[in-house]
Amino acid sequence: MGERPTRSLREQLEQSERLFAETGRYQGIERLEMKKADPLRYERLFSRLHSTVVAAREGARRIAASPGVREVGEMVVALYTPEGDAVTLSTGILVHVHTTSRFIKWMIRHDYESDPGVNPGDIFANNDAFIGDVQVPDVMDVIPLFGDGELLGWVGAVTHELEVGGITPGGDVALAQERFSEGMFVCAEKVGTNDDLRRDYVIRCERSLREPIYWIMDEKAKISSCLEVRDRVLELIEDIGADVYLRVVREFIEEARRSQLERMRLMTVPGRYRGVQFYGHIAASSRLLPLGEPESLLHMPMEMTIGKDGFTSLDFDGSSPQGFHSMNCTPAGMDGGLFVTLTQSIGFDGKVNDGSYLGLDMHLPSGTWTNPDNEHLATATSWALLLPVFGCFQRLLSRAFYARGFHEEVFVGQTNTPMIEGGGISQFGRPFGCALFECGAGGSGARAIMDGLDTGYAGWNPESDMGNAEVWEQAVPWVYLGRAIDADSAGYGKRRGGVAFTSLWKIHRTPHLMLVTSEHSARVFDNAGLCGGYPSSTIQYHYALKGARLEDLLSRHAAIPHQPEVNGTVDPTLEELGRNGGLQAADGVYVGVLADGDLFSHSYNSGGGFGDPLDRDPEGVERDLHRGLVGTEVSEAVNGVVVRDVDGVVRVDGPRTADKRDEIRRRRLEESIPVSEWHARQRQRLESEALDPAVVRMYRECRDLSPKWWREFTSFWGLPDDFEPRPARAEEIER
Amino acid sequence: MTSYPKDVIKDLLEGRLPWQETHQIMSSYKDADRFETYRSIVQEEIDDGDRLVLPIGERLVIVHGEDGLVVRCLCGHRFGDYRTNWKLNARIRVRDSEESLEELYPGRRKCDPRWMEIREFICPGCAAMLEVEAVPPGYPVVFDFLPDLDAFHEHFLGEAPASPE
Repeated sequence: MGERPTRSLREQLEQSERLFAETGRYQGIERLEMKKADPLRYERLFSRLHSTVVAAREGARRIAASPGVREVGEMVVALYTPEGDAVTLSTGILVHVHTTSRFIKWMIRHDYESDPGVNPGDIFANNDAFIGDVQVPDVMDVIPLFGDGELLGWVGAVTHELEVGGITPGGDVALAQERFSEGMFVCAEKVGTNDDLRRDYVIRCERSLREPIYWIMDEKAKISSCLEVRDRVLELIEDIGADVYLRVVREFIEEARRSQLERMRLMTVPGRYRGVQFYGHIAASSRLLPLGEPESLLHMPMEMTIGKDGFTSLDFDGSSPQGFHSMNCTPAGMDGGLFVTLTQSIGFDGKVNDGSYLGLDMHLPSGTWTNPDNEHLATATSWALLLPVFGCFQRLLSRAFYARGFHEEVFVGQTNTPMIEGGGISQFGRPFGCALFECGAGGSGARAIMDGLDTGYAGWNPESDMGNAEVWEQAVPWVYLGRAIDADSAGYGKRRGGVAFTSLWKIHRTPHLMLVTSEHSARVFDNAGLCGGYPSSTIQYHYALKGARLEDLLSRHAAIPHQPEVNGTVDPTLEELGRNGGLQAADGVYVGVLADGDLFSHSYNSGGGFGDPLDRDPEGVERDLHRGLVGTEVSEAVNGVVVRDVDGVVRVDGPRTADKRDEIRRRRLEESIPVSEWHARQRQRLESEALDPAVVRMYRECRDLSPKWWREFTSFWGLPDDFEPRPARAEEIER
Repeated sequence: MTSYPKDVIKDLLEGRLPWQETHQIMSSYKDADRFETYRSIVQEEIDDGDRLVLPIGERLVIVHGEDGLVVRCLCGHRFGDYRTNWKLNARIRVRDSEESLEELYPGRRKCDPRWMEIREFICPGCAAMLEVEAVPPGYPVVFDFLPDLDAFHEHFLGEAPASPE
């Protein structure tokens, strides 16, 4: 071994943080000496480590039992320094590279080295967001990497579990109002020794989860990937020595920090960028739990500042408060949201690791949903707010890319990925619980130079997938009547967002199925367009049809429904089946009990559009019409594209399209007024008219948390600071 | 250093470049002279004496003209000093009723106008849709982007400041 002084892990971490605070450089590294001395060797070493974590993840996915890991790829593997900083990471759920870093550092700060001890062969696990995670289903395993008795690093792996034993089945437990209903917690716990899981931990899993096989097999997959990485890294250390290894991994991190700043200077414009997002939370179906509001509107403002050195700060001042709902997000979760967005926007190649993260910071006001000060609160569906708010971050960055001329990197951003989960008795007659993870294939936001990705995107995992229908049919007792493109769902623009899809299922061979949905905004769009593009429709109504009597249609050889809606209204066949009153459209979270023969439909989100929809190439609209991605009515109203039938084929009518576009432009001018005039009218309206109580509550809550935000609000309208928005009385509201 | 001819960048910006080439550019090291090329391409669309400083939208640019550093549309309409939110000098159409939202978002797709309205910011000169906001009633207009032009020129581009003073 080298001449390194013997220090505790906590002292090493403190020194690392002190050096960064003093110098602004990781570990105070001034020169990348190894890179300078032998750049080829330096890159070779990085490639060797990087390929190790990528290969370990791929191998482990074949061990996992959960279709979430096998089909959708809900896994990530990463290598860390002794102090817990990520050196290199695999593909997959990149959210957790930094959440796992927080978990390791939490153990170091809480002196795990002394108690319970950190020894070769130990396995530590965590899914507590206040320690370092996003939500309970993200279960992370970490093993120490020892060489000659010295701790030289950590290896971490994370999988998203499909069942966590919460108050409702699945993992994204939308009904949770406090952490005590979210499911089984593993709080920075030593769950294994001698490279194997403890038997008592496995027994706890077996007795606490509805579908323990997924969790336990995923644990084995994670441990195998960690061991694989550990062994390969130890081989490398054998080759180059521990001193060189520790020096080079720290240089990799410092290089990533410098690259982050350099890229910001190369691809963006310094200044202040602002955006905002909203989320409608309807929890009427969870009223048996007494806490929280049945209806609430959540405010997610974001201000991004890019400094003259490329350093980027995100400020969430003005955000809605924390609450008794499942959408709170810990700082670790916010880190995760930032990290996964970063790897898709500006840190997508080369050395991306915790060094990239050192080129940014976030202001997360205490007591807001971004930084709860009450650790009893739930975070089971943090993603409901994380996805929209970091979709906003993607738009802010995109404004910067656009201004700099890098239009190929402009991305209107991610949207929410509504989840459906169920539990009860399976089609095989045994108890079960599972999340059907096809939400990994929504539509993405548009790009500045091309449309968004259709049915193939989720912000939380850049390589996500919807999974094979047949595989899901083995996991849950419901069979597909159809997966269908959700026409007209994409945000309008010169470039449209990616379109989403809907699924319609027959509940199959189960006497008892509890179905729950989550992470879909009600009543408000939780995404936006950019540069004249519109938000996509993300208003979710899921349909449940009890007593569908599908067999009546089948016996008559009549058509059965394959999708819940056509042109924004209920599919006529579905409506016909529901004429006995059994059809229920759920506004907000759906929680219900269904059984064999019932139907259920779920829809996913599309992305926002980019640019003026009238600038869309008519041929692009024609192509979309042929593929069933858009309908003629909306295309005419929004894009001004008029079509005609030519021998049974829809074709653009050029002259009528030009006339229609002129007409729409004329209407824009006729129907609009100068903003100054509108401002005066709005101010008067705010003083004299009532707003919906949910809107007023949102304004008041944000005012109470941030006087600064409220001062901007009142000064914008020219209202006194003590202005009090008036909520509408019940009789004034028709819904 | 990576660099591309002006016609390639022009095609790229307009989405006309074949996907293979586009993908190649996306995956390669970024061209440090991009802004210079980009600026000369957009400047060609401004032939009335204004000097382009920074494009900030599909049709919105910050220029240095006789009236100082201002935001203008490519059509020529001027929105005033770039430090003031250009939206305040645009035209606005608000979709805050079921009927007006229905035109864009039929059936169940629309937002609830009690909770959210769609604000369309329109150029008074050419009727272009410049920006769209989806916010609750009463929400202040968002000031999307205030660039630090001095830092941009001095630290990011290594040029003299845009403003003569």
